[in-house]
Amino acid sequence: MSTMKMDLLQGTLDVLVLKALTWGPQHGYAVGRWIERTTEAVLKIEEGALYPALHRLERKGLIAAEWGISENNRRAKFYQLTEVGRRELQAQTVTWQSYAQAIAKVLQAAV
Amino acid sequence: MRIPAGFRRVFGLRGQVAQDVAAEIEFHLEMRIQDLIEEEGLAPAAARAEALRRFGDVGDVRQRCEAIGVRREKETRRSELLAEVRQDVGYAVRQMVRAPFFTAIVILTLALGIGATTAIFSLVDAVVLRPLPYPAPERLVRLWETNPQSDHFSSSEPNYLDWRKENRTLAEMAAFKAVTLSLVGSQEGDGEPVRLSGAAVTASLFPLLGARAAVGRTFSAAEDRPGGETQVAVLGNGLWRRRFGADPRVVGRVLSLEGKRYTVIGVLPASFAFSPETEVWIPLAPNPGNERDDKWLDVMGRLKPGVSLAAARADLDGIARRLAERYPESNRDWGARMIPFQEWLVRPQARQMVLVLFSAVGLLLLLGCANISNLLLARATTRGRELGLRAALGAGRARLIRQLLTESVLLAGTGAAAGLAVAQVALRLLRALGPQYVPRLEEVSLDGRVLAFTLVLSLATGILFGIAPALQASRTDLHALLRQGGRGDAAGAGGRGGRRLRDALVIAELALAMMLLIGAGLMIGSFLRLQNVDKGFDPDGVVVVKLQVPENEYSEERMRAFFAEVSERIGNLPGVVSVGATNADPFGLFEPRINYTVDGQAPQRQSDFLSADWRSVTPGFFRALGIPLRKGRLFSAEDRDGAEKVVVINETMARSLWPGEDPIGKKILWTGLASKPRTVIGVVGDIRDMQLDGETRQVIFRPYAQMTWPWMTLMIKTAGTTPGLSNLGNLSVAIRREIHAVDRDLPVPDLVPLRQSLAAPLAAPRFGMLLLGVFAAVALVLAATGVYGIMMFAVTQQTREIGVRLALGAQPWSVVRMILSRGLLLTLAGVALGWAGAFGLTRFLASLLYGTAPTDSLIFGAVALLLAAVAVTATWLPARRAAAIDPRLAFSAD
Repeated sequence: MSTMKMDLLQGTLDVLVLKALTWGPQHGYAVGRWIERTTEAVLKIEEGALYPALHRLERKGLIAAEWGISENNRRAKFYQLTEVGRRELQAQTVTWQSYAQAIAKVLQAAV
Repeated sequence: MRIPAGFRRVFGLRGQVAQDVAAEIEFHLEMRIQDLIEEEGLAPAAARAEALRRFGDVGDVRQRCEAIGVRREKETRRSELLAEVRQDVGYAVRQMVRAPFFTAIVILTLALGIGATTAIFSLVDAVVLRPLPYPAPERLVRLWETNPQSDHFSSSEPNYLDWRKENRTLAEMAAFKAVTLSLVGSQEGDGEPVRLSGAAVTASLFPLLGARAAVGRTFSAAEDRPGGETQVAVLGNGLWRRRFGADPRVVGRVLSLEGKRYTVIGVLPASFAFSPETEVWIPLAPNPGNERDDKWLDVMGRLKPGVSLAAARADLDGIARRLAERYPESNRDWGARMIPFQEWLVRPQARQMVLVLFSAVGLLLLLGCANISNLLLARATTRGRELGLRAALGAGRARLIRQLLTESVLLAGTGAAAGLAVAQVALRLLRALGPQYVPRLEEVSLDGRVLAFTLVLSLATGILFGIAPALQASRTDLHALLRQGGRGDAAGAGGRGGRRLRDALVIAELALAMMLLIGAGLMIGSFLRLQNVDKGFDPDGVVVVKLQVPENEYSEERMRAFFAEVSERIGNLPGVVSVGATNADPFGLFEPRINYTVDGQAPQRQSDFLSADWRSVTPGFFRALGIPLRKGRLFSAEDRDGAEKVVVINETMARSLWPGEDPIGKKILWTGLASKPRTVIGVVGDIRDMQLDGETRQVIFRPYAQMTWPWMTLMIKTAGTTPGLSNLGNLSVAIRREIHAVDRDLPVPDLVPLRQSLAAPLAAPRFGMLLLGVFAAVALVLAATGVYGIMMFAVTQQTREIGVRLALGAQPWSVVRMILSRGLLLTLAGVALGWAGAFGLTRFLASLLYGTAPTDSLIFGAVALLLAAVAVTATWLPARRAAAIDPRLAFSAD
C-alpha cells in the first residue's frame, strides 16, 4: 500500500498492531506489551502512539472493537482482527518481505 | 456499564466518544502502573510518573483518538441510516405490491392531481413567472399617448421623434406598426403571391430588444430616415425557411412587396420572439414633417439602468407638457403613458385566470391528499397487527413513523412519475384549447423548472397525506393489541382519535369540493350569459373574406370601383342573398375610434370632444348582417364621393346625444382639421361586434364611397344557415373567380364562417370554464368516494355493535337513520365550511365574471344542494348495508 511506504513509522506500527491481533482479541495494553516483547524494544515507540493507530485501523474496518472485561476484572476495550484486516495483513506481509529483500540485496551489493 | 440510548442522544456522540477514549487511556495507565509495581518494584507514585512518561503526551493522544472516533461514529450512523432507508423502501415496495388495488387507486389519484398541478404550474411559469425572452426585460416599457377620453392612443411620427430626442431616462426608444404586405415573387419558382403579416419598425427596435440578425444585418439609421435607402427588408426566420429554403444567399435578393421593390438585407434568428406572426420587417422611417395628430405608431422603450419607472414617467410627462405648449393645435390635452412590457403582454385578466386555475388545481390536489389520507387511515387499522409486531420487535415510534412516511413518499413519487405523463398530455390539450388567449402559450413546456417543481410537490404531497395516518398508526398500544387477541385494530387508527381525524378529513374534502364547484358554477353561469349576449345581428349563413388592395396601385376611385364591382358580382352568385363590407372585421384587432363633436357646440379643447367607434361600410353591410334600421334611411348609391357627407349612427349614440329628439338631420364634426359637418341620415340597432362585455359603445357608420379604405372584410350572406364545408369550398372557388375577374393579382384568403370569428371572444372564458369545470367534476367524484369510503368503513367497524342492536330488537330503519344522520352531519359541516371558504375566495374571480356576482346566491344554493345530494347518496349505500346486517354475525364475527 502506497501510504504505508510513504509513512514508514506509521505503516510499521499498523502492521505490527495487525500482527499482534492474529493471536486473538486483545486490549490496547496487551497489544503494546506484545510489540515491546517481540521487537525486543528495537523499535522504540511511545506507548500513547499506539492508540491513534488502533482507532485509525478501527475506522478503516481492519479491526473491530468491543468493550469487555480484562484478565484482572476491569472494563477494557478489546480489539479483534476483521476479515478485511486479515487480508490486509497478508498483503502487507508480502510487501514488507520483498521490500526487506530488496534492501538487503542493495546493501550486500554495495559491500 | 451500558449507557442508555436516550442519554447518548442527549449528550451527543462527542461526549460518548470522549468518555470511551478517556476510559481506554486510563485502563492502559493503570495496567502499566500495576506492572511497574509488580515487575520492577517501583513505589506507586513513582510508577505512575514512569507510566505517564512512557505513554507520552496524554492530551495529544486523547485528542487524536477522539477526532478519529467521532468521524467513525458519523460514518457508522450514516451507513446505518442508509441501510434503514433501504430497508424501509424495500418494505414499502412489498407493501405496495401486496395491496395492488389500494396502490393503484392512490397512484391514479396522485397521477391526476400532480399531473394537473404540474401542467397548470407550467402555465403559471410561462405566463407569470418566467422573464420575457429579452435581455433585462424588466426595463422594457410600452408607451402610449393619452387624452381625457382614452389612455391608449398610438403616437404620431413627430411626437415619437420628440420623445426619443428629448427624454433623459430611456436608453433607447423604438416605434413599430403591424402591416400586411403582398409578396410577389421576383424570380421563377418564387411561388404564388401571398399576403404576409409584416411590421414597419424603426432601426432601433432590434437593438432595443437585444436581437441580432442570424444572417446579414438589421436596419441602419440611414435606412430608417425619410428619403433614405428605405427599400430594404429583413425576413422572419419562418418565412426564410418556408419560402426560401433557409438559403443564406437570400441576402441581396430583391422582392416585390406591395408592388415595390425591396432588397433583403438580413434574416432574424428563430429565437426572436417579438410578434411571432410577423414574417417580414421593413423600415418605418418616421417623418418629423408629418401631422402631429396622425397617431398610428406603437412605441416602446428601454429604461436606462437604475432609472425607476416613476422617474421615466415624470420625464415623459414633462416632455408631453412641453410639446403641448409648443404645438397647442395638435398636442393640447395630450399626455403620455408608460407601462412595463410584462403588463402589456400579459393582460391582468389572463394573469388572474392563470392564478385562479393554479389555486383551483391546488385545492384539487389537497382534496386528493385528504382522500388518500383517509384510505391510509382505514388501511392502518387492518395493518395494526403488523405494526404492533414491528413495535414489539423493538421499532421505536419515530422509526415506525419514518417507515410509514417512506411508504407515502414512495407512493407520491410513483404518482408524480405517472403524473408527468398526465401533464404531458394535459399540456397538449391546453395548447390546443387556448392558443390565442393565453399569452406565451407556445413557450409552455415541461422543462427543468417545472420538473423541479414536480419533485418538490411530490415530496410535499407524500408527507402531507402520510403524516396524519403515520402519527395515528404509530400510536400502537401493544397491550391493547394483545388484549384484543390481535383482532387487527391498532388502537390509534381505529379508536376515537382516528375516527375524529377521519371525520375531519371528510369534512375538509366536502368543503374543498364545495369551493371548486362554486368556482366552476360561477364560471359556467358567466359563460352562458356571455354566450347569449344579444349581438344585435344575425351571423347565420354569413361567411367572411378579408381583402386588401395595394394602396400604391389603387387610387381612391379604383378602390371604390373595385369593392362595388366585387360586391355586385358576388351578390349575383346563386345562393348569395346579400353582400356588404366593413373595414373592421368583427372581434378583430382593428378597433377604429374617432373623436367628434356636435355641430354648433364648437369645442375649445381636446377634452370637449366625444369619442365613438367608427366603421366604413358599403350599402349592403346592414342587410348582410340583418342589422335593423330604427329611423331614417340606410346608405345608398347616392351617398357618393362629393355628395353631402352622411353618417348612420347606432341607437346608443342617438339616445345619448339627442334624448327625446329626432336625430335625423343633425350634424356632427370630426376632431382636428377643419372638417365638414356630417349629417345623420339613419339610426340602426346596437350591435356588439368588438367586445361582448362592457357598456355598449357609440358607433358611427360612414359610407365607403366617402371613406375609402384599402382593406375590407366582405360579409356574404348565403341562403340557409352556415354552409357546410363542401358547400363552403364551392362558394370559395366561385368567389375567388369573381374577385380575380376584377383584379387577377389580388391574393384571396379562404372563406371563414362568421360564427367562427364570433367564437374568438368566447375562447378565453371557455378555456377557464372548461378547466374549472373539469377540476370541479373530479373534486365531486373524489368527495363522493371519500364520504362513501368513510361511511362504509364505519359500518364495517361497527358490525358487531349494529348486530347487537338488531338482535336486541332495534328496527333496521333506526340503524339506517343512525348512519344517515352521521353522514348528514358531516355533509352539513363540509358544506358550511365550503360555503364560508367560497364566500371569501370567489372575489378573486370577480374580474373574470360577466354579469354574475361572485356571491351569486343561486349558484351557491344550487351547488350546496348538489353536493348534499351526492353526499347523502354516498351515505345511503353503507346505511342500507348496515340495516341488512345479520344479527347472528355479531356473535360469530372474529
